[in-house]
Formats: sequence, C-alpha cells, structure tokens
Amino acid sequence: MKRIHRQDVSMNAPSRAMWRRTVSILAATVVCYGGIGGKLGVIQLTQHEQWQALAQEQQLSDNVVSDKRGVITDRNGTVLAQSTETATILLYPRELTSETARRQVSDELSALLGVDRDTLYKKACKTSSRYETVARKVDTDTRAAFVEWATARGYTAAFRVIRDYKREYPFGNTLSCVLGFTGTDNTGLEGLEARYNDQLAGKAGRVLVSQNGWGDPLPNDIQYETAIESAEGNSLTLTIDLNIQQMTEQYVEKAVKNTAAANRACAIVMDVNSGAVLAMVTKPDYDLNEPRVLTDSTVAAQIAALSEDERSAALLTALQKQWKNKAVSEFYEPGSVFKIVTASAALEEGRVSTASRFFCNGTFQMSGVRTMKCHVYPRSHGSQTLAEAIAHSCNPAFMTIGSSLGTTLFADYHARFGFTERTGVDMLGEARVTPSLYHTADAITAVDVATSSIGQTFKVTPIQLITAVCAVANGGQLKTPYVVSDITDAEGHTVYHTDGQTRRRVIAEKTSKTMCELLEGVVENGAKNAYVEGYRVAGKTGTSEKTDQKTASANGRPGVVASFCGFAPADDPQIAVLVMIDEPQTDIRYGGVLAAPVAKEIFENVLPYLGVQPRGK
Amino acid sequence: MATQAAKTPVKTKKRRWFNFSAGFDMPFFILTMLVLAVGLVSLFSASFAYAYYWNDGDSYYYIKRQLIFAAIGVVFMLAASTINYKQLQKKWVVQAALGISIVLLLWVRFIAPPIRNVYRWIRIFGFSIQPSELAKFALILFMAYWIAKQGDRMKLGKEGFGIPIAVTGVIAALVVIEPHLSGTMLIVAIGMVMMFIGGTKWYWLVGTLGVGAAGVCAMIFGLGYERDRIDVWLDPLKVYTSGGEGRDLAWQTVQSLYAIGSGGLMGEGLGNSRQKHLFLPEPQNDFIFSIVCEEMGFIGAILVIVLFALLVWRGFVIGLKAPDRFSSMLAIGLTAQIGLQVVLNLAVVSNAMPNTGISLPFFSYGGSSLIVLLVQMGIILCISRSIKKE
Repeated sequence: MKRIHRQDVSMNAPSRAMWRRTVSILAATVVCYGGIGGKLGVIQLTQHEQWQALAQEQQLSDNVVSDKRGVITDRNGTVLAQSTETATILLYPRELTSETARRQVSDELSALLGVDRDTLYKKACKTSSRYETVARKVDTDTRAAFVEWATARGYTAAFRVIRDYKREYPFGNTLSCVLGFTGTDNTGLEGLEARYNDQLAGKAGRVLVSQNGWGDPLPNDIQYETAIESAEGNSLTLTIDLNIQQMTEQYVEKAVKNTAAANRACAIVMDVNSGAVLAMVTKPDYDLNEPRVLTDSTVAAQIAALSEDERSAALLTALQKQWKNKAVSEFYEPGSVFKIVTASAALEEGRVSTASRFFCNGTFQMSGVRTMKCHVYPRSHGSQTLAEAIAHSCNPAFMTIGSSLGTTLFADYHARFGFTERTGVDMLGEARVTPSLYHTADAITAVDVATSSIGQTFKVTPIQLITAVCAVANGGQLKTPYVVSDITDAEGHTVYHTDGQTRRRVIAEKTSKTMCELLEGVVENGAKNAYVEGYRVAGKTGTSEKTDQKTASANGRPGVVASFCGFAPADDPQIAVLVMIDEPQTDIRYGGVLAAPVAKEIFENVLPYLGVQPRGK
Repeated sequence: MATQAAKTPVKTKKRRWFNFSAGFDMPFFILTMLVLAVGLVSLFSASFAYAYYWNDGDSYYYIKRQLIFAAIGVVFMLAASTINYKQLQKKWVVQAALGISIVLLLWVRFIAPPIRNVYRWIRIFGFSIQPSELAKFALILFMAYWIAKQGDRMKLGKEGFGIPIAVTGVIAALVVIEPHLSGTMLIVAIGMVMMFIGGTKWYWLVGTLGVGAAGVCAMIFGLGYERDRIDVWLDPLKVYTSGGEGRDLAWQTVQSLYAIGSGGLMGEGLGNSRQKHLFLPEPQNDFIFSIVCEEMGFIGAILVIVLFALLVWRGFVIGLKAPDRFSSMLAIGLTAQIGLQVVLNLAVVSNAMPNTGISLPFFSYGGSSLIVLLVQMGIILCISRSIKKE
C-alpha cells in the first residue's frame, strides 16, 4: 500500500484535480438549471393555456348576466309573451360588521322587499357565505326604492344588484297551452317557450370579476372586470290571431261549463289553405303568470288533503296534465267526423258516386261476425243518396262505403291522410303515433274496416283530424300545420318565414269539390246546429264512444267525445274549425248538440272578422 | 534601503483581523447586488397582497423589514469582506463553530418550543434564528479546514471519507429530526460536493448516494413514509381535484403551477400576479419564484436563473483562483450552498421534485437568513481580495 506522507499543502493553490472536479460540479449545476429552465418552458410555454384556464377558473368570479328573451306576438303584432327587466339583490354578509347593522338591514329591508324578516336576518348573519340572495325578480320601482334606501343607510357595499328578466304574459290564461311558460332561469319549460327556446333565448352575458382566494373582490385599485355583453333573443310571430283565439276560448269555455266536460275540451281554428293555426284552445287551462297554481280547485283540494309524501308527486302529475296541449297531444276516437275521410277516399277511388244509393235497415252485418246497429235503431234510414247518408251520418251506409275500398286501400288512405304519422306541427308535445293506435296495413281485417269507416276502434289527435279535413276542403293538399310564421332577430331582420308547407296530395280537386258540397248539405240538413245564417258552412259531427274505456263514467255510461269538424265557406273554403268535448256529463251527449253550436258561434264571429262577406245560397 | 526595510515587515507575516490591502472581485460583488436587488423587487411584489390581507392593509409590511435586513446585511457583507479570513483557519474556530451549531441544533429540537409544529426556529430578541443556517456554515468551514489540512490524504478512506461523512451525518441527523427534510438534503449535498472537490474517491460518494437513495426508496415505497407527498408530486392535479386532505396537501404545488403556467412567455407584468391574492399560500416565502414566473414570464424566470448561474460561476472562479486550499474550499463551499439551494427551491416550485419547503436565496422573506447569506458573500469577496492580480 502506497503511503501518503503527511505534508502541509494547505498553503498550496488548488490542485489540477480540484480544478477538474470544480468544473464538473459547475457543469452539473448548469445542467440542473437548464433542466429546470426546460421544465419551466413546458409549464409556461406549451401548457400555458391550460394552466391559465384552470387558474382563471378560481381567479374570476363568473356572474351571469341574464339575456333578454325574445317576444312572442300574434299575427297582428300583439305581444303575448315578453320579458321585463327585474333585479336580483345579493347580500354580502361579511360587509355587515355590527349586530345593529344586521338588525337594521333585516328589519327595514324585509319590509321594503316583502321578504321574511327572520330569513333575511339569518342570511345577514351567515358570514361563512360570500353572498346570499335576498330577493329575485324585483321590479324596477322596488329596485329604485332599494337603491335609495341602501345609499341613504350607507349599505351600498353590502349589496349587489344583478339585472335579470321576468317573463310576463299580458293575457294570462289566453293561449296558455300553446304558449307555455319559462322557469325562473328564463328557460322555456312548456309549449312554444320550450319548443322555440333556442330562438327565444338570447346569449347570456357574463361579468368576470377578479377575486382573491377567499372569494372576495380584489381591492379597488387592482380590481378588474371583463364584461361579455348579453345578446337579445329572437322574436316569434305566430299565425295565431288573438281576437279569434279569444272568441274561440270564450265559446269553448262556455261549452265546458255547460257540458261539465270531465276530460277537458279543445278547439282548433285553421287556415284551410296554408295549415296556419289561427286559434288553438284547450279548456280549462291555466294562468301563464302562475303556471304552478292548479286551476281545478277540486283537484287542488284533493291534493292538499294528501300526505306530504304523496303530495308533490300528485301535484306534479296534476300540473303536467293541466299544462298539456290537448289539441296536439291527446288521442281520441274521431267517430262520425271521420266519415269525411271515408267518403273522400271512396269517391276518389270511384267506389261510390253522388248517384250511388245506400240502404239502411237499422243494422249492418259485419262479415258474418257481428251485427252493428245504426244510431237510429230500431228505426232505419231506408234508401239514401250519398248526400243523405252523410247528412244522416248513417252507420250501415258508411260501413258499406268503407268496405267498398277493401282492406288495402282503406289502410292506404288512412295513412295518406296522415293518421299514421305526426303532422309535424311546430309545437311541443305532439303525440307520437304508434301502430297500437290504429289498424296497420298488414293486420287490418274487414271488420276493422267497417268499424274504422265510422271512426271507431282507432285513435287520432285533433290536429291530425283537422289537418285531414283541411286537405278535403282545400282541393286535396295535406298541409303541415304551423303556428310560427316568422322569426325576427333583435335588429328586426327576418331570419325565418314560412307560408306553410304541403306534405302531399291526398285526393283530386274534383273529389274535394264534391265533398265540400256534400258536407255543406250536412250542416243544412243534418247538423243544423252549426248552420250560420248567410254563410255556407260545411262539416260533420261526431259522437264517439270510448270503446276502450274500462271503467264507466260516474253516471254509469261509458264516456263519449262529442265533436264537430267543419269549414266555411263551402264554395271557397277559408277556415276550418274543430271542436271536441271530452266526456261531457250532460244527458244528451251528441256532437251535433254539444259541439256543433260551439263551431257555429266560432264561424259566426270569425268569418265576418276575417272579412268573409255573408251571402245567401 | 531604509524605506524598503520599513515596508517589508508590514506586508509579510503579520496576521491581522482586518485586511484592506486589495480590492475585491467586482463582478461577484455586482452579481450579488443584482441578485439582491431583483430579489427585493420580487419580494415586494410577492408579499404586497399577502401583507395587505394579513397585516391590516399594510402592503409594505414585509418589504419594509426585508429592506432593513438587506441594508444591515450589505453593511455586514462589506465588513466581512475586510476580515482576514485566515483567522478562520484555526482548529478552535472550526471546533467552536461545529460545537455551537450542534448545541443549538439540540436546543432547538429538545428545549425550544415548536413553531408551526416543527422545531426549526429559536426566537431570540424577537428574531427567528434557524440553527441549521449556522450549521451549514459550520460544515463548510469544517470541510474547508479539513480538506486543506488533509491535502492528498483526502484520497484515503478514513481521512477522505469516514471522518468528513461522519461530521456531515451528525449535523444532517440533527436537522432531519427537526424535521427539516430540505435542510438535511442541502447539508448532505454541500458536504458531499465539498468532499468530491476536495479529493474524496468518487466511488465512496457514489456508494453513499446509492445507499441513501435505496434507503429513501425503502422508506417511501416499503414503509409508505411520505407517500402522499409522492402522489402529489407525480400528479398534483389529480390529488388536488380528488378533494379531502389530498387537496390541502396538493394545494401549494397546484397553486404554484397555476402561477407559473399563467405567466406564459412574457408574464402578467410586475405587480400583476393574481395568484398572490390568497391563492398561493405565503407567496413571499418558499414559493416566491412562482410569482416571479407569473409576473415576469418565462423570460424573467430564465433571466433570474441565469443570474444565479453567473453568481455560482463567479464564486467558483474565485475559489479556484484563491491562493490556498482553505480559502479555495471555503469560497467553493459557500458558492455551492447558494447553487444547490437554488436548484432545490426551483425544483420544488416547478414540481420537478416533491415539495419539501426550501427558501430561495436573496428572494424569500427572512431577515436572519438574508444577513447570514450576505455575510457569506462577504467572506467570498474577502477571499477574492487575496487573489494575485496578473
């Protein structure tokens, strides 16, 4: 082993080895520094945006500024739904430092804003919270009073007022099942408000306010704010005419009252040639400004009597039923009104003509299976022309007419007239048509054809039926019904316009003309209750038994739907009207007695309003 | 002849405590003052908001104090630059330094009350003093003394490795029980860097590192010690978003990354940090560099790193040019301390290493540590005076 002698080198300069090793340490230091520089480069340059986004999430308090929702007007520009400016008042509890201040605020502000004093006091004491919402949807007058109060008392720092909007419906119940309403966040929940929410809703603005780690705004001199302006939503112009709507509502409401309809009633007034909906009524309805209040006080009382657990579910079910637009969302058996379609199809196919004669002995033998009675049984209609058969609404005659088409053609026309599909009306909640509702082409039997010919054993929606009747009246064009004709942006530019769309031709113009004459004869000779002096009204009544109803209604009889569907003037059809009363509780429940007079009232008032001149025949 | 004779004895062997004989290394002095100035500006900005929230709106709370400490420190530095450092190369001075350090380390751990749950600080006359700061200096002094004394025998196992690693180990052990993990790492690193330069065989050091690393791995993965800290290091955002206790643990690291990442290339501008507003905890302390990154961007961060690198380079140059082994090792040791502390701090701040809590020299708030740092710089300047000019 090599001995190293003790030798004092402490006065020597650093050795070459020390130089080398120092330089290598320096190099290692530079490598480390470079590595950290590289790491910083990754974080600051390549990952900059994602880190910044994450940081901003916590650094900025994001306050949403409500957007102004577009208005909804009727075809004449009358406002049906609009948004008015309101305020949301926020309280910053930490700014109220003394007990006196908290008491003063809760005492005086509760009176000013009409909120509960104790709740407000609790919020004022909640210093763990950054802010508490004191009141929402405060109107402009109250807001002004509040600001004055806060300034006078020196509490401006403890409050923040945020602009918001409140949806208002100037006509309350009018058109409620069509318009629908919005939630507190101004998002459409029902009806057109929901269907056209994308158009009506603007773009919410945002105010990004810098905040510190405690969630408080930064001190004033370094405070910064970024505002993203909110954008106003588009406005809808409806095809609905408020006057026609109000008239129709008035008559239907009266009818519901008189007939004590157990399952509501509805009516549609439609422009025969375009498919534009001029009025659509469901009664009873509800107040759009108070959508969560039950209109039916009996139901409300029943629900109030329920236990707490059942109550909210029951209330929700009842409310959903109340909000439902019966005219597009509920199915029913159309009954004799459907004879319009049966007759049109048979005429179009040449299976019957105006010269054909039909014999009624009071009953109809269906393919040897069942015997069906005419509604005048034990009396009978005897020998009738087609016009007479329609006017009499003779069931055996129509079973004969329907059967003349055979199963394939009958099913074909059923589909062609649109009863196996949605109409495509631009409304919320149009019911989906499932094959269980009707006899499908591959399963329909001769018996099915016979019963279907008189409008029983299958179901339709009111909007489907009136759309089909319009096709019969307008020369054979099946239209797509619609309620929104124009969408306008905040600057007034039209972004959408429609004059209606044709789905397909269902019958020839000639057939349509014949049907108009035949149906005019119905009102003149049969359903006289729809006859309007001076006008040529065409139409058909219907009284359909709810054949699938398991339980009989209160008075022991199965429920019926009393309805009428017609149009006028017969020589140049302009408007179609459908009236449908679901489960009337009167002794006489015929459509001709209950629904036709309602249609008469509508025609009587709407035709002159639309400028259709009365003239004799 | 008489005049010459009169001059000669004055210039030669007479040892004095102060030495004004030659000018010190101007580049090192300027670099030190530059780093100090940038550090003070950064501290002002980083502490501004924190002081505002925690000291009744007095945003100047920290900077006022730090400026006073810096002024005292600079005076001490200039004073230290005039001492005759050779007086430090005495057995009793080294023994006293080591002895006092160990006594203070024992005191802080076993007698003094804990501050924030750890035994790191002793409060004397209203000042917080970290014995580990003194211990670092004592270790550097010892190493310089030992290496100079042993000379070529540093190649031997006992003199070159056994004894110096034992001294390092004792000090490190006393620091690790405080507990002060990053302080321990720094002490071990300083000791080993000085041993390496001093001539210790490389395989002893590599072996020690290997055993140490294996021990640390066994502690973490075998015994699960500090496992949480490792999880935070590996994926801070995941731990942060998982909520609960993990969120608190990952908080500082994540907030630091938010700050650094937000800075981008150019930064938000001096004074414009958003993260210092109560998001990044104690931005004036260990994580001050995150705020520098946020405000001055990647460019500013690189400039700061370059400044530190230049300071280390100049310190090493002084060490290598020094006339004797002791002063050489002293300058290199003191410089290495700065260099290593900066690496550790930046690695923690940028999450290149688990969070251990280590301050950034000249930047982080802390009076006593700043004064000690400046005195150490003074000693390097002092050594630079003895370099023979070509």
